[in-house]
Amino acid sequence: MFWKRTIPIAIVATVGFLTLFGWFVDEPHIKNFVEDDATQWYDILASFAIFLGALNLLKMQSQKILKKQTGWQYSIFAVGGFIFAIIAGFVIKGNDAIQWGAHVTGKGTLFKWMFEFMFTPLSATMFALLAFFVASASYRAFRIRNFEATLLLISGIIIMLGRVPIGIKISAWFVLYLTILGIGVVVNNAFKNKQITLGFVVGGLLLTTIAGFWMGWPVDQPALFYLPILQDWIYNIPNVAGARAIMMGIGLGIFATSMRYILGIEKSYIGE
Amino acid sequence: MNGILNFISRIGQLDRRWIFLIIALVVLIPLFFPLGLPIRATESTRLVWETVENLEPESKVLLSLEYGPSTKPELHPMVFALVRRLLKNDHKIYMTCLWPDGQFMAEDLIEKVIELEFPDKSYGEDYVLLGFRPGGEAVIKGIVSNIRKLYTVDARNLSVDEIPMMEAVNQFKDFDFLFSASAGFPGTVEWVQYASDPTGVPMSTGTTSIQVNEVMPYVQGGQVKGILAGMPGAAEYEALIGVPGIGTSGMDAQSIAHVVIVLFIIFGNVAYFVERKKAKKY
Amino acid sequence: MSGEILGAWIAVFLTLAIFSYLYKDNAFYKIAEHIFVGISAGYWTSMFFWTQIQPNLFGRLWPSKQYDADSFWYGIYDALSWINTSIFPAGGIDKGHEMHLIYLLPFALGIMMLLSVFDKLSWFARWGIAYTVGMAAGLRAYGYLNSNVIAQVRNSTLNFSDPDLPFFALIGNSYFNSILLLVGTISGLLYFYFSKEQKGVFGKVARVGIYFLMVSFGASFGFAVMGRISLLIGRFVDLITYNDAYYHHATIWVLILMVLALGYSAFKEKGSPKPS
Repeated sequence: MFWKRTIPIAIVATVGFLTLFGWFVDEPHIKNFVEDDATQWYDILASFAIFLGALNLLKMQSQKILKKQTGWQYSIFAVGGFIFAIIAGFVIKGNDAIQWGAHVTGKGTLFKWMFEFMFTPLSATMFALLAFFVASASYRAFRIRNFEATLLLISGIIIMLGRVPIGIKISAWFVLYLTILGIGVVVNNAFKNKQITLGFVVGGLLLTTIAGFWMGWPVDQPALFYLPILQDWIYNIPNVAGARAIMMGIGLGIFATSMRYILGIEKSYIGE
Repeated sequence: MNGILNFISRIGQLDRRWIFLIIALVVLIPLFFPLGLPIRATESTRLVWETVENLEPESKVLLSLEYGPSTKPELHPMVFALVRRLLKNDHKIYMTCLWPDGQFMAEDLIEKVIELEFPDKSYGEDYVLLGFRPGGEAVIKGIVSNIRKLYTVDARNLSVDEIPMMEAVNQFKDFDFLFSASAGFPGTVEWVQYASDPTGVPMSTGTTSIQVNEVMPYVQGGQVKGILAGMPGAAEYEALIGVPGIGTSGMDAQSIAHVVIVLFIIFGNVAYFVERKKAKKY
Repeated sequence: MSGEILGAWIAVFLTLAIFSYLYKDNAFYKIAEHIFVGISAGYWTSMFFWTQIQPNLFGRLWPSKQYDADSFWYGIYDALSWINTSIFPAGGIDKGHEMHLIYLLPFALGIMMLLSVFDKLSWFARWGIAYTVGMAAGLRAYGYLNSNVIAQVRNSTLNFSDPDLPFFALIGNSYFNSILLLVGTISGLLYFYFSKEQKGVFGKVARVGIYFLMVSFGASFGFAVMGRISLLIGRFVDLITYNDAYYHHATIWVLILMVLALGYSAFKEKGSPKPS
C-alpha cells in the first residue's frame, strides 16, 4: 500500500506545491528546479507515457491476432503499420547525408516519406470526414424548437455567411426584408391577430422599400443588417460574453481540481 | 398543396448519402471554376496585421507551430502569409513546435516559402527551426525561463551556441513578438497563460475555426493582439498584405459550401414544420 | 522520384479508403483505419524519442564532452553503442549538454512506466504519472486562475473615464458594448451556479445568461462548419494534385477501382441470402 498509494500521493503533493510556489516564491533553488530541470523531467516522462501507450496498443492488437478475435485480420494492418513506422524511425534512414535525430523531418528520408504519404492523408482525411457529418447534422438535427434554439441558429447562420466572401455580396436590404418577415412571425405569435401581423409586415416592407430608394440601395447600409459587420459585432460582443462566462467557469473548475490534486483529495490517477 | 407538403416531408427523410454527395460536389466544383469573390478583413484579422506592421525592424519573432496535417488547410496558409510578411519586413524568425507534426509543417514552410521566395535569407541568421520538444505547457515554461536549456541543438542537430541569431536569446523575454499557429492543446491558450501574460511579451495568434471561441475572450480583452480565424482568416490576412495564396483560393468553395449548409438548415426546418403540422392534423 | 509517385498512389488509396466510409462501413475503411492506428503509434514513438529522450535524456547522461572510455559509466555506454550506433554514436552524445546524473531519476521513473505494461507491475506507472499530474496541477492552478479568471474579470470592467467613447458602435469599444459584455458574462456565470434553485430574479438573470451562451454556441457551430469545410477543401486540393499526369492520374484510377470493388461487393451481398 505504501509503494502503490502513499508514495504517488506524496509525489503529486510535493511536485505540485513546488511548481505552484515556483510562481510566487523568489527562492533561487526552487525557481531553478521548477523552471529548468523539473520541466525537463516532465517532458521526459511525457515521452515515456507515449511509449507506454504505443506498447499497450501493440499488446492489444497482437493479442487480438493471436486469439483470432473478430476482425483480427485488420489488426495485422495495425501491427504492420506500427512496425513500418518503427523501421522508418530507427532502422532505415533513407538518406545518409542526414544525421540520426534530424532524419525525422530531413529531406529524402523514409520517415518523412511515411509522414507525407501515409500519416498525412490518413489523419487529414479522418478530420475532413466530419465535414459531411456536420452537414448532415445541420439538415437533420438543427431544429427551431424554442427561443434558445432560434438564437443559436440565427447566430450560427450569421457567422457562417458573414465570415466568408459571399457574405459581402448579400445586401443589407435583403437581410432587412428577412428580418421584418421574421419579426412578423413573432408579432403573429404574440398577438394572434392577422390584421396586426399584416399591418406590421406590409408597413415594414413598404418603409424599407422607401428607405432603400431614398438611400440608393447601398449594399452595406444600414450597417446593422450588413452580414460582415453584423457578424463581427456578434463575434466580438455577445459571443465573447458567453465564451468568457464559459472560460471563467472552466478556469475556476481547473483551479479547484488542481488544488484537489495537490492537497491529495482527488486521487483518480491511482484509480480511486 | 398536399403534393408539395408530401414532397417536402419526403425530402426530410432523404438518405444522408445524398447530402454527402451534394457537399462533395459544392466543395469540388468551385475548386475547378473559381468565382473570384472579394475578401473583406474582419477587425481581429486587421489587428494582427497592424501588430505585425508596427514591429520595429529586425524584431525577434517567435513563431510556434502547433498543428499537423489534420488542420493544415486552415493554418498553413496563414503561416505562409505571415512569414512572407515578416521576412519582407526583415524580421528574424525563430520557429518552435509544441506538436511533433509542427516540425514537418515548419520544414514544409521553409522549403516552399522561405527557400523559394527569399533566397537571400539564410538559415541561422534570418530564421531558425528549433524544432519540437514534448511536454506542452512545461515546454513553454522552459522557453520562458531558459530556452537554451531546452534547445541545446536545433531541429537539424546544429548546436544552438553556433547559430548567430541565437546570440542574446536566452529566455522568452528576449523576443519582441510571439505568433502561435495553434490547432488545440497545447497551443494558444497555454502560450497566453504561461508566456505572454506572465512576461508581457505581445502575442497574436492564428487558430483553427473550432478553437476561435476558446481564444476570443483573450483577444477581446487585449491579452492577444488579434486572431486569424481558420482558412477565411488566412485569406483575409493574404488580402491585407496583398499576396493572394492558398487561403484565398479556397474561399469560393468555402462560401458556396456555407450557403448550401444554410439552405440545408432551412430545408430541414421546413420539413420539420410540415411533419409537425401533419402530426397535429391526425 | 519514383518514391514520390508510389507515395502519391498510396496517399490517394488511403484518402479514398477513409472517404469510402461515407458510403458504408467497409473493408477499405477498416484497413485504412487500422493502418492509421499503427502508423500513428510508431510515428509518435519515434518523434518523442528523437526529439526528447535521445538528445535531452541520454544526451545528459552520456555527453560527449565528458567522454572517458576507461570509466565504468561510459563502459555501459560503449556496450549500448555496440548494440546500436544510431542512438548511441561512438564517443558519447553531442547535444551540447553537461553530464547530469540526476536525470537517472526521471529515466528510472520512465522505465517503471514502461514495465507497467506487464499486468503484475501495472502500479509501476503510478510514480511517473504522479509526477506529471503534480506538475500539471501546479502549473495549471496558477495559469488558469491568472489568465482565465482574474484577467477576464479585469477585461470585463467598465471604463467610464474615456470621454471619447461613443455610446454605441458596431465595431470597436462603446458604452453599450461594454455593458452588454459585462451583463452577458455575469448572467452566463450565474447560469453555471447550480447551488441555488434558478427561480425568481436569480432565475431570470440566469435565463438571460442562457441566451448569451446560446449565441456563443451558435457561433461555435458556425466555426465548426467553417473548419470542417476548410479541411475538406484541403483534402480535395491534394486529390486534385495527385490526379496530375505526373502522378499518372492516381486519383481517378484508384477511385474507379475502389468504386468497382465496392459495387461488386454490394452486388454479391444482394445476391446472397440474408443471414437469419
